[in-house]
Amino acid sequence: MALIAIIDDDPDIIEASTLVLQSKGYDTVSASNPTDGFKKIMELQPQLIILDVMMEEPDDGFFLAQKLRRNKITTPILMYTSVSKTIGFEYAAGEMVPVDDFVEKPISPDELLNKVENLLKKK
Amino acid sequence: MDTEKIPRVLVVDDEKGLRVGTGRLLEMEGFSVQTAENGTEGILLGTREDFDLAIIDMKMPDIDGIEVLRKIRKSKPNTVCFIATAYASYETAIEATRIGAFGYIPKPFSPEELIQQLNKGYSQRLLLLESEKLKKEREENLLELAGEKSRLNAIINAIISGVIVVNKTGEIVYFNHAAIKNLNLDELNIGDRYEEKMPQKVNDLIEEIISSEIKTQKSLAIQIEIIKPNELIAEIICTPVLHPDGSFAGVVLVIRNITEMKKIEIIKSQFISMVAHELKTPVAAVQGFLNILIDDRFNIGYEKQKEYLSRSVVRLSSLLDLVNDLLDISRMETKSKKREIEKLNVPEIIDNCIITLELEIKKKSIRIIRNTLQQECNLFADSNEITRVFTNLLSNAIKYNKDKGSISINIEENKNFIIARIEDTGIGMKPEEKDKLFQEFFRAKNENTRGISGTGLGLTIVRRIIESYHGKMEVESTYGIGTAFTIYLPKSYK
Repeated sequence: MALIAIIDDDPDIIEASTLVLQSKGYDTVSASNPTDGFKKIMELQPQLIILDVMMEEPDDGFFLAQKLRRNKITTPILMYTSVSKTIGFEYAAGEMVPVDDFVEKPISPDELLNKVENLLKKK
Repeated sequence: MDTEKIPRVLVVDDEKGLRVGTGRLLEMEGFSVQTAENGTEGILLGTREDFDLAIIDMKMPDIDGIEVLRKIRKSKPNTVCFIATAYASYETAIEATRIGAFGYIPKPFSPEELIQQLNKGYSQRLLLLESEKLKKEREENLLELAGEKSRLNAIINAIISGVIVVNKTGEIVYFNHAAIKNLNLDELNIGDRYEEKMPQKVNDLIEEIISSEIKTQKSLAIQIEIIKPNELIAEIICTPVLHPDGSFAGVVLVIRNITEMKKIEIIKSQFISMVAHELKTPVAAVQGFLNILIDDRFNIGYEKQKEYLSRSVVRLSSLLDLVNDLLDISRMETKSKKREIEKLNVPEIIDNCIITLELEIKKKSIRIIRNTLQQECNLFADSNEITRVFTNLLSNAIKYNKDKGSISINIEENKNFIIARIEDTGIGMKPEEKDKLFQEFFRAKNENTRGISGTGLGLTIVRRIIESYHGKMEVESTYGIGTAFTIYLPKSYK
């Protein structure tokens, strides 16, 4: 089964997301900040990355996504957004932000599983 | 003849008989007559008084009639003069009219002839006076108009909004200094084409007004970032100018500098989106748990269920704290909460704060060290607000402290201020964290702060309260060692 990395600073979100993903048999690994997240992704090479848009700083999830792409990591990224229009940046899928899809919080288990399944299939 | 006014005639003649005879005749005909017996006297009278008519004898022993005529004409150009002479010649007649005589009366003359001539002359006099009056009125009007124009110019140049007037053919016909400034133009000249000077979006609006079939007084407005990013933002309002008959005269542009207003708008909307984010975060977490709890597919055990519920409760109570903090800030901003200023004893307030925080202090086994020498340090302020300041500062000193750490509290006073210093032996702040300390919702996030909850508004509230009392606050911090807050509160607050 695919390994999915979840990078989010909210432990409750990691907990709930992990439980939903594991219920479908996915393996998960998590990190609560961009630095740890980057390390774990480089080390464990997950098949999918779930990334919160804002952790320690506004848009630092977005910067981590850029950093991953610069490091030739082409793994699909699913981005968690909280307020779709955050400070400074407006997002449209694919444009500007090197991620593959968005899920807006609060996360519905069905929406999350659908998007994860689609992204894994595409690959 | 004018019946309301008696025409005044000056008769200048060296021949006494003629003076008296003419005078009598004219008085009988309703004229008022004054006489001069030589040229000198004639000049004196004729230049001193504004006669309606003058009859001047050509040949006089002292000064001849032509000279008298010239002098009177020069001084009183509206006096209608006649030259009278017995030595009539064509040349003298020409010369007399050339220098301004109205008529020429050959001597001897019949009474009818004289009266007829004088009546004609008086009509001329009335015409001259009327035209002089009109001329004067016109000059006065022009003067007034010039005054009005320069006043208007002064007003338009003094207002901070830019004003540009474009005529119907697209030429700039008027502008003030603020227009150049607010549009950041190098220069602007009367007669310039608007398309060459205005930003494209403004050109479009002017074009729309000029080319539209129906001219109404409706304005078109636009906001343009003149210097990016957000350095100069102008609002431009274009309004058609119509002549009194309704025909199109041109377009007037009013250019306002709205940079400051826009900046405040941006800060406000950033604040709102941050608030929305902060409010949504705990909601998202709780909903995440509830979605799992309600869904039979996940089939989680009793212990897990309880864990998720209690984690949800924690998130909801922090959400409640956040809402309360936001309400406090809003009350401070709108000043809707009335202050109750009373005499407060700061050491006593701090003692009360410590009592309310006792549970947290015990949990982390923190030692409180009081260095205050005086038992009394009085301050005039609102008890709730000052309590809030110390509760927030002490609560931070506990939350961000190490287990078994300590908090030293020092209170002293000088002539004007109560100075309170709260120092912890906590995790401290990195310089970049310290810089952001007073930003709304900023909370240092690093390996040491994990598990510490807070709204990110505590210090914002502290700072706002202190500033509202015209006090100040200082922060010293060393990462890994601890943080000290020193607050200065004026003893009397008015």
